[in-house]
Amino acid sequence: MSAMNRRQFLKISSAAAAAATPLMAAKKASAAAAHVVVVGGGVGGATFAKYLRMYDPGTQVTLVQNEKDYQRRYGSSEVIVNHIADSALNISYDDLKNYYGVEFVFDTVTGIDFDKRQVRTQGGTTLNYDRVVLSPGITFDYSAVPGMTEELADTKIPHAWNAGPQLKLLRDQVNKLPIDGKVIIVPPPAPFRCPPGPYERAGLITQWMLERGDKNPSVTILDVNNNFPGDYNMVHLWNRFFGMNVPKDFTPFTQIKYTPEQLATLKTYDKPAKLQWIPGNQGGRVLKVDADTMTVEAEAGKFQADLINLIPPLKAGKIALDLGLADASGWCPVDPTTFESKMHPFVHVIGDSSLADPMPKSGYSANNQAKMVALQIKSLLAGNGVIEPIEMQNTCYVAAGPKNFSIFVTEFFREKDGKIIEGDQPPLLPFNASDEAYRLCRVYEESWIENFTHDTFYKPYWA
Amino acid sequence: MTNRATLRILVAALGMLCLPNAFAAPNESQDARPTAAIMLAQTCAGCHGTEGYTRGDALMPLAGLPRAQFIRAMEKFADGTRESTVMGSISRNLSAKEIELMANYFASFPENPPIAKGGKL
Ligand SMILES: Cc1cc2nc3c(=O)[nH]c(=O)nc-3n(C[C@H](O)[C@H](O)[C@H](O)COP(=O)(O)OP(=O)(O)OC[C@H]3O[C@@H](n4cnc5c(N)ncnc54)[C@H](O)[C@@H]3O)c2cc1C
Ligand code: HEC
Repeated sequence: MSAMNRRQFLKISSAAAAAATPLMAAKKASAAAAHVVVVGGGVGGATFAKYLRMYDPGTQVTLVQNEKDYQRRYGSSEVIVNHIADSALNISYDDLKNYYGVEFVFDTVTGIDFDKRQVRTQGGTTLNYDRVVLSPGITFDYSAVPGMTEELADTKIPHAWNAGPQLKLLRDQVNKLPIDGKVIIVPPPAPFRCPPGPYERAGLITQWMLERGDKNPSVTILDVNNNFPGDYNMVHLWNRFFGMNVPKDFTPFTQIKYTPEQLATLKTYDKPAKLQWIPGNQGGRVLKVDADTMTVEAEAGKFQADLINLIPPLKAGKIALDLGLADASGWCPVDPTTFESKMHPFVHVIGDSSLADPMPKSGYSANNQAKMVALQIKSLLAGNGVIEPIEMQNTCYVAAGPKNFSIFVTEFFREKDGKIIEGDQPPLLPFNASDEAYRLCRVYEESWIENFTHDTFYKPYWA
Repeated sequence: MTNRATLRILVAALGMLCLPNAFAAPNESQDARPTAAIMLAQTCAGCHGTEGYTRGDALMPLAGLPRAQFIRAMEKFADGTRESTVMGSISRNLSAKEIELMANYFASFPENPPIAKGGKL
């Protein structure tokens, strides 16, 4: 083959392709074929279903999804500042169904019989499985915040952390903000879905108000956490563009500290910041919310606002909690090489619901976990045992706020002694990154959205 | 300004060069895709597309990238002689052996895939 030139190769491979059976036409799994059931058709579930059918077309895959009109959550904050239309988040399951031959049941999984290996749905469907993979996303613990309720989230204080109607509500609220209005953003305690996400929102809203012409917008992050992935670059940029002082006692997430020379280049302001971050060690922890007066009470004092975006503490998806797949942390402990549940055999939990520390709860993580588990399940079904070593990555691109500036956080993961460990390379842009580098990240971020969505939900570009 | 135009300016500003696929990739057979290579290469697909095929102007495809060119790119990202945003960090997390596995993997795909509907590579 190595002696063959490129043109000859292409000729042969096109001929082979013409003769090849498309995945969709592959025979329905015979009675003897293995059956894998997937619960949840978000990033984790969709990627898993696609890749298992790609790698192992002989295995039958049934995906049970309760949101027929799923919208991607990643990149969704671009909607609230009108960078993209809400409809840009819509996903179609047509390719998974028609090209990859994934079977769909649009219904809610209500139970699993772990002994009989059966999944039950609300609508009365029962599915037998050889393995079941859950990627049910997150639930919101409203009771953890005095004054907060699910009804308030749907009507007045949207978290908008699952796209959908709440995201539109938040967009409308942003668009109706009075000039120099006051905005409060409350991130949940770590670990949570999309760790840089609430901070990205704060920057986007501040910039949106400035572009609208506001002279003194006031966006305040009331935070129980002391740092977040990407803070090293974000705080630097907010200091430069949004008049924010570096919070007292600030130690960035990566533990990379600003050197004295770098600190000297950061400014000090005596005017109120356009964007202010009050971390936990400065009194940012929220004690209660009063929706009638639109006031948030934190350790540092009372804050009145025109818009409150409070993201309640998060836990694993409801079905995972109901079935006892989570531990006291609210997340599901799993084996790091197979993501098989530590609670029940033949059950795998991936995506945000899983306890995969130090992997962040991101779409990129969910996508990479899904592919890794697809390889493992193919091997396990064939009786070939667990594949080692394993590798996974995460990268989150994050809009920093200033127009067309983005940053990233990137990590490489392996398994060692039963734990997931992170590579030791600095995961960020350097302190002295040029404006061009930030703008380039923005361009790559937009390209990432397109390629990532394709890798997760759709057939190849060339097909 | 279109994204393509912005990108050109930005890439130029950073002194980065995207080399064209100048010569034919010596395509290996399916043997170029052992599980260990798939395990590594699938982690890149979130940015570089499923099996290295991308759309759009910015993030470049890896499918059909000649072995030597792939390895050279990764080495240059790692030692910093080629400027990068994310690839410096990513490449330094990989061993020479892992880079070679992926070089074989991506070179085993045609740069221009068959258009045939439902074609399988
Ligand atoms: C504002 C925002 C910005 C983000 N930006 C990024 C980013 O830039 N990069 C990044 O990598 N990630 C980002 N993320 C995170 C990313 O979206 C999530 O990590 C990812 O969606 C997790 O995938 P998942 O499969 O675990 O859950 P989801 O994608 O939420 O999918 C779970 C699905 O399962 C369904 N389901 C749940 N229970 C059942 C049941 N019992 N029966 C049937 N179906 C069920 C749910 O309804 C849902 O449709 C962002 C998130 C937010 C909110
Ligand atoms: C977060 C997105 C992202 C991920 C993940 C990623 N890359 Fe990249 N890749 C880029 C970007 C962006 C560039 C351009 C250089 C830069 O700015 O880092 C690039 C450039 C490259 C190039 C140069 C291509 C050319 O035409 O010269 C190669 C080779 C490459 N990447 C290989 C890989 C491999 C192998 C992996 C997986 C181990 C990977 N990349 C994972 C974003 C990514």
